[in-house]
Amino acid sequence: MITVDQIKRVLPHRYPMLLVDRVTELVPGERASGLKAVTCNEPWYEAVPDDAPPEAYHYPWTVLLESWCHVAGVLVAWEAPNPDVVEGMAMLLGGVSDAEYHRPVLPGDVVEHHVRLARQVGETYMFEGESRVGGATVLTVGRLVMTMRPAAELRAAPAGEVT
Amino acid sequence: MTATVCGPVDGTLEVVDPGVPGERPARCVAVIAGTEKVFAGHFPGFPIFPGVCVVEYVQRGALATLPEPGAVLAAVESARFLGPVFPGSTLSCEFTWTRDEPKEQDEQHERGAAPGGWRCRAVATTERGLAARVRLRFTAPAGREAAG
Repeated sequence: MITVDQIKRVLPHRYPMLLVDRVTELVPGERASGLKAVTCNEPWYEAVPDDAPPEAYHYPWTVLLESWCHVAGVLVAWEAPNPDVVEGMAMLLGGVSDAEYHRPVLPGDVVEHHVRLARQVGETYMFEGESRVGGATVLTVGRLVMTMRPAAELRAAPAGEVT
Repeated sequence: MTATVCGPVDGTLEVVDPGVPGERPARCVAVIAGTEKVFAGHFPGFPIFPGVCVVEYVQRGALATLPEPGAVLAAVESARFLGPVFPGSTLSCEFTWTRDEPKEQDEQHERGAAPGGWRCRAVATTERGLAARVRLRFTAPAGREAAG
């Protein structure tokens, strides 16, 4: 089991964008699973008014996808930790295809993310997988591409040359 | 995927042109302020707007320019992130809507598209150039599927 203290040693992400609480399984170069406990105390819910309907508490699916990516990030960074983004590499989302959100996720849910590394070419990683809550699939990710780029290079990069 | 007031972004997206499907694209603009809450942690010392947050704004723009009220986001068919978005950028998005024409039943099933839904192709740019290309699929409002 990989706990948050260890996750913070390998990922540069921090509050409010550190969205994995525990990695439960990790096979380097192959797959990883992790948990994200959703709570109404997350900053995304700050602006929800008191008279909001129940669906106002559906966890933002974009954040759910980012959370899934963080398990992928731990899988990549576990053997090559990258906690200092200023000096090191920035982990960037290159693309995603066929991401489908199947049912709402609510405060109190514990989301299990399952990530498989489908392919790696240099510093570009391609993943697939899904997320479940209590056995029900909430998110499927057909393909997601992540690239590692030196931060210094990014700052200087002309537009259109990130991926 | 319903429109909710909660999300990872703080700015307001403005519809500049609601567009006309088949004639001209819809256009929206959002300023990505340095005060967006995600910058604190993505990343400390190197604020860069997360790709999923660009998609969040694109989704909001799509929902604001939906040709048919009530359609619901079904899938991100694809998103390609082509340039970094830094604090202070103005994100301009252009949305081209096309109706999903009902086709052979088995083909529909294969593509996972409900008849009568909508597809949205969005291009997001900043002052630096292209930021992202996003394709979203929306299903028709509940009870309207058969009417497609």
